[in-house]
Amino acid sequence: MMLASLLTSAFLVAGVCAWRMIQGVDGPATKMVLKTGIYTAAIIIPLQILAGDLHGLNTLEHQPAKVAAMEAVWETEKGAGFTLIGLPDEEARETRFALKIPYAASLILTHELEGEVKGLNDFEAHPPVAPVFWSFRVMTGVGTLMLLVSWWGAWQLFRRGALNNLALRAVSLMTFSGWVASVAGWYVTEIGRQPWIVQGLVSTADVVAQHPTATLSGTLFGYVGLYIALMIAYMKALRIMAVKPAKTLEQDSNPLGTPLMGTSA
Amino acid sequence: MSEALPLFFVSAMGLSLLLYVILDGFDLGVGMLLPFGSNSEKDVMIASIGPFWDANETWIVMGVGVLLIAFPKAHGIILTALYIPVTIMLVGLILRGAAFDFRVKSADHRQPMWNKLFALGSLMAAMAQGWMLGAYITGLTGSTMSLAFSLLISLTLPALYIMLGGAWLLIKTEGELFDKAAHWCRLALPAMAFALLLVSVATPLVSQDIADRWFKLPDAIGLLPIPMSCALAILGMNWMLRRPQVLHAGYGWFIFVALMVICLMAAIGLAYSIYPDIVIGRMTLWEAAAATESLQFIFWGAIVTLPAILGYTVYVHRVFSGKATELSYD
Repeated sequence: MMLASLLTSAFLVAGVCAWRMIQGVDGPATKMVLKTGIYTAAIIIPLQILAGDLHGLNTLEHQPAKVAAMEAVWETEKGAGFTLIGLPDEEARETRFALKIPYAASLILTHELEGEVKGLNDFEAHPPVAPVFWSFRVMTGVGTLMLLVSWWGAWQLFRRGALNNLALRAVSLMTFSGWVASVAGWYVTEIGRQPWIVQGLVSTADVVAQHPTATLSGTLFGYVGLYIALMIAYMKALRIMAVKPAKTLEQDSNPLGTPLMGTSA
Repeated sequence: MSEALPLFFVSAMGLSLLLYVILDGFDLGVGMLLPFGSNSEKDVMIASIGPFWDANETWIVMGVGVLLIAFPKAHGIILTALYIPVTIMLVGLILRGAAFDFRVKSADHRQPMWNKLFALGSLMAAMAQGWMLGAYITGLTGSTMSLAFSLLISLTLPALYIMLGGAWLLIKTEGELFDKAAHWCRLALPAMAFALLLVSVATPLVSQDIADRWFKLPDAIGLLPIPMSCALAILGMNWMLRRPQVLHAGYGWFIFVALMVICLMAAIGLAYSIYPDIVIGRMTLWEAAAATESLQFIFWGAIVTLPAILGYTVYVHRVFSGKATELSYD
C-alpha cells in the first residue's frame, strides 16, 4: 500500500504538471515537479509489480480461491493458461470467448511451467468470479500502462531533459490512474475474500449486523452519493488550482511560500 | 494481570472520550457558530481551529478503537444499536472535513455553500453524538422512553459544544468577534445547564442500581463534590459572562476551564454510575473484555500511542498559542 500510495501521488502530481504545460500556465517550478513525479513513478512501478507478484504467491498459499477467481481457472490443472480476456460465466462454469496464453498462469503463480493451479470447482466456496476477474484486469492493465508511460517519460527526460507533446498528453491522461488501480486492487482483495471476512474462520454472513435491508441500502446509497458529490467538488477545485497561472520566481516575493497556518505564535 | 488489563483499557477509553468531548467539542462548537460571524470573522473562526481540529478527532478514533480491540463484544452491541446515529455523525464529520479545505480552495462564489456545509456537518455530528449518549445511558433498549430521551439530549448536547466553541473564541480572538463570542456563550449557558440536569436526572431513573448508588448514605455525601462543582462552575460562568470588563481584562480562559471541570465531573459521575457495566444492565467490562493474551499484546501499542497523542496535542497548543489571524492559501 505504501508503494501504491507513492505511485498514486507521483502520477497525480506529474499529470497535473503535464496538463499545466499543455495549457501554457506553467512556471519555473512546474518542470521540476513534473520531473520528480515521472522519475518517482518510473522507480516505484517495477517495485510495485515485484511486490504484486510476491503478494500473489502469498495469496495462492493462504487464499487460493481468490487467485482462482482472479484467473477464472475453473478446473484444477497443471500448466494452466492465463486468460488475457474473456467473459467468466459462473452458471455455465466456463469463461466464454477466452483469449489464453498457454502455461502463463502456472508460470506466474507457481513460477513453474507445469505448476498446479487449483480450480474454482474444487473449492467448497469461492468468491463471485466476474468482479474479481475484471478488477484484477483493470488493476494490472493500468499498472502496465503506468510502467510504459513512466519509463517512456523518464527516457525522454533522460535524453532531452523535456517531454514532447505526445508524452505530455499521455502523462496528463494518467493523472488519476493511481486511483483507478488502487480501487480495483481493493475490489480484488475484498470481493476475492468472500464468502469469508476472516479467511476460513468467520464468514461475512455470520457477523453482519441484522439491520433491515432499507437501513443498509439507505446508508450505502447515502455514502456513495456523498462521495460522488465530494469527488466532483475535488475535481473542480483541482481544476481551479491547476489553471491558475504560475508565478515566476521574481514575482514571488516570499520564496518559502505563504504560511499555511492561520495562527500566529 | 487479567483483572488489571480490562480496567486499564476502560480507563484509556474513558480518558480518550472525555478528551474528545472537550477538544472536538470546541471545534464542532465553532463550526456551529460559523453562520453567525461576518465573512472576515468566519475566516478568523476557522483559523482559530485550523491547527487543532483534525488532531482532536483522533481521540474518538482512539476511544472507539480501544472499544473494538479490548471489548469486542460490547463494541458489537453498542455500534450495532447506534448504527444510524453513527452514520449521521460520520456524514457530518466527512462534510466538515471536506468543507474545511474546499471553502478556501474551490471557486470563490462557492465559499458560502461550503461555509454552510461546514456548519451543517458540525451540527449533524454534535446532534448524532447527543443521540448516542442518550441511547447509551438509557441502556440501548430502543424503548419509547429511551428514544424520547435520546432526542432531548441530541437537541441539548450541541449547547455544550457551542459553549466550548464560544469559550475557545474568547481565548483565541479579540475585538468585535470576542464580544460576539461572549454573547453566544450567554445564550448557550441555560441550554447547556438544562442538558446537564437532564442527564443527571435520567440516569438514576433508568436503573434502580444507579439510583441506589447515588442516594445511599454515606456514599451520597462523598459524591456531593460532583454536583456542587458543576453548580459552582455554572454560576461562575454566569457571573463572568455578564461582566465584559472582567472578560476583557484577560480572564476569558476561565469559561473554558469551568467547562472542562463540568465535563470531567460528568465523566466521573457517569463512570461511577455504570461501573462495572459497559453495556448498562447487560454486560460488564469483564464479560466484554478480549482474551488476556490479546489485551497483553495491545497493551504495548496503547502505552506508546496514548502518550504520543497526548504529547503532540500539548505541543500543538504550545506552538499555536495566542490570538488567531485569518487563514489563507494565496
